[in-house]
Amino acid sequence: MEGFLQNYGFLLVTLLQQSLLAFSLYFPLMAGQLSLASPGFYALGGYIAAIMSTAPECTPLREKLGTGIYPLEWLAAGLISGVLALVIGISALRLRGIYLALATIAFVEILRVICLNLEITGGAIGIFDIPQLFAERWSYGLIFGPLLLLTLLFVYRLENSRTGRALKAIREDELAAGAMGIHTTYYKVLAFVIGAVLAGIVGAMSAPFLNTWNARQGTFDASISYLAYVLIGGSRSMWGPLLGAVLLASLPELLRPLKDARLIINGMVLVVASIYLPQGIVGALGRLKRCVVKNTSPMGGER
Amino acid sequence: MYTGEYLQNILNGISIGSVYAIFALGYTLVFSILGIINFAHGAVFTLGAYLTYSLAVGHFGIGGLLADMQVPFRLSFPLSLLLGSLLSGVFGVLIERCAFRPLRLRGADPLLALVSSLGVALVTINVIQYLVGSEIYSFPSEVYGDIRPAFTFQRGDTTIVLRTVQLIIFAVNMTVLVLLRYLISCTRVGKALRAVAENSSTASLLGINVDRFILYTFFLSGFLGGMAGGLVGTSFGIAGPYFGVSYGLKGLAVIVLGGLGSIPGAVLGGMVIGLAEAFVPSDYSAYKEAVAFAYLFTMLLICPRGLLGRATIEKV
Repeated sequence: MEGFLQNYGFLLVTLLQQSLLAFSLYFPLMAGQLSLASPGFYALGGYIAAIMSTAPECTPLREKLGTGIYPLEWLAAGLISGVLALVIGISALRLRGIYLALATIAFVEILRVICLNLEITGGAIGIFDIPQLFAERWSYGLIFGPLLLLTLLFVYRLENSRTGRALKAIREDELAAGAMGIHTTYYKVLAFVIGAVLAGIVGAMSAPFLNTWNARQGTFDASISYLAYVLIGGSRSMWGPLLGAVLLASLPELLRPLKDARLIINGMVLVVASIYLPQGIVGALGRLKRCVVKNTSPMGGER
Repeated sequence: MYTGEYLQNILNGISIGSVYAIFALGYTLVFSILGIINFAHGAVFTLGAYLTYSLAVGHFGIGGLLADMQVPFRLSFPLSLLLGSLLSGVFGVLIERCAFRPLRLRGADPLLALVSSLGVALVTINVIQYLVGSEIYSFPSEVYGDIRPAFTFQRGDTTIVLRTVQLIIFAVNMTVLVLLRYLISCTRVGKALRAVAENSSTASLLGINVDRFILYTFFLSGFLGGMAGGLVGTSFGIAGPYFGVSYGLKGLAVIVLGGLGSIPGAVLGGMVIGLAEAFVPSDYSAYKEAVAFAYLFTMLLICPRGLLGRATIEKV
């Protein structure tokens, strides 16, 4: 067990972390809004945590709180990401479809260039030697794991609530939802902010886990990875992002023996999966299940 | 700011702006026909740059699998740019066949086209990296033959440097724009393309082979993307296989600024962003990369349909 955790601890925690990031994109998608802003908030959260852990200005705070600084970092990252998402969301969410996606790509890029040039974010080098919360890599699962469970529980409760039904209605037809008296802007912004808060917290938790934090954490490539997790896992079910993230994020590790051809295969998987699994893996499993049930039911043969 | 500096900025801005314009036209053509964005366009840009380089310089590069392999012939720069762009166009057709057509036939969610086109981009870029390595290449000046590398104009104490590459870029781009304009407005192919862009099912009912015109569009788009890559490569060098990605994102800013799907809009947007970047003061040059996205973001908030875009009527 000890050896297993030594070898695969990093991978396991990465899978948990990537699943959480997939959910941060899933929330806006529940309301049919394609937002690619998650890596931006993730990077922002990480910078907040990294600065609070390393900046000399924060030394008195660190000495006073001890390890209590970490929950405070998570709180600060979530809060700041949430407020920023509120500001961006209110102005950007009147855009639809591809326009919203483009606006969020622009947000991620602008944030990246700013972080690359500010002194407080360490410029191009970034912030390193971020103090560790745990001695072992796998121990970070003790914070990512519960957060993932909480998120799953939250999504499960949300989907069967009034808010969840409102989000679903907006996804199916925004105009009709508005006509039914659903305040579409409110719910769209709400979903966007929830996703941003989650991404911010995950960023703040990841900064000590990864030990260094730089502008490469929040890039366009990351946006697309998260989108691929959700779409290939299945965007209509809460199990989709989880399954997609676990499968796709472990792919580079599984393909490690292939070395240079790794990313080539990764790209091919994206193409093939989007062609043959249009409803995602969860959707395909659902279809398969329906097929099997139909064939074994007594009525099946006669009709 | 001195007049000389001012003129110099305008020159630089127009030169790079015209590259942005033809690159963004590749996006806009596909968007106007299919209503989706081809995220593999940045990879086509990279491909065009490498193809032009290999054909003009005569070898594939210093690193990667093809290191030290010689191309059996050397073409003059204009020919290699043309051939490189044509091959990129063929690659555009290949992208359509692999990443877009299967999805279209299945009537899949348009979001999936984003993922599949990015998958193609990932494959392309990494295959290129595998083959030629990730070193930085710059075109040796002898590929242009006997032309002087730069012209310097001096008057009093103001100096303006006009690099020959800038002139070539501008001339090539203007030619391409005029030809494209002719193709779209004055030929039967152009008429059919416009019909497909307007409404593909009606066009198909009127006897236009929509599928074939989608292929033409992807060929044109790949051609323009590859040519932009070749031109940027000659002007600034090739900064590794990933350098197309950042141009790919900038191209998005250009088409949104001009108006998604609008051809004159893409040209105007390219010029605006090229000039805006050229006028970033040197103290803030690190923020130059963000200028295009700041424009994109602001434009979307103020007027999402862009400078020259058509207002779409919302159908219920």
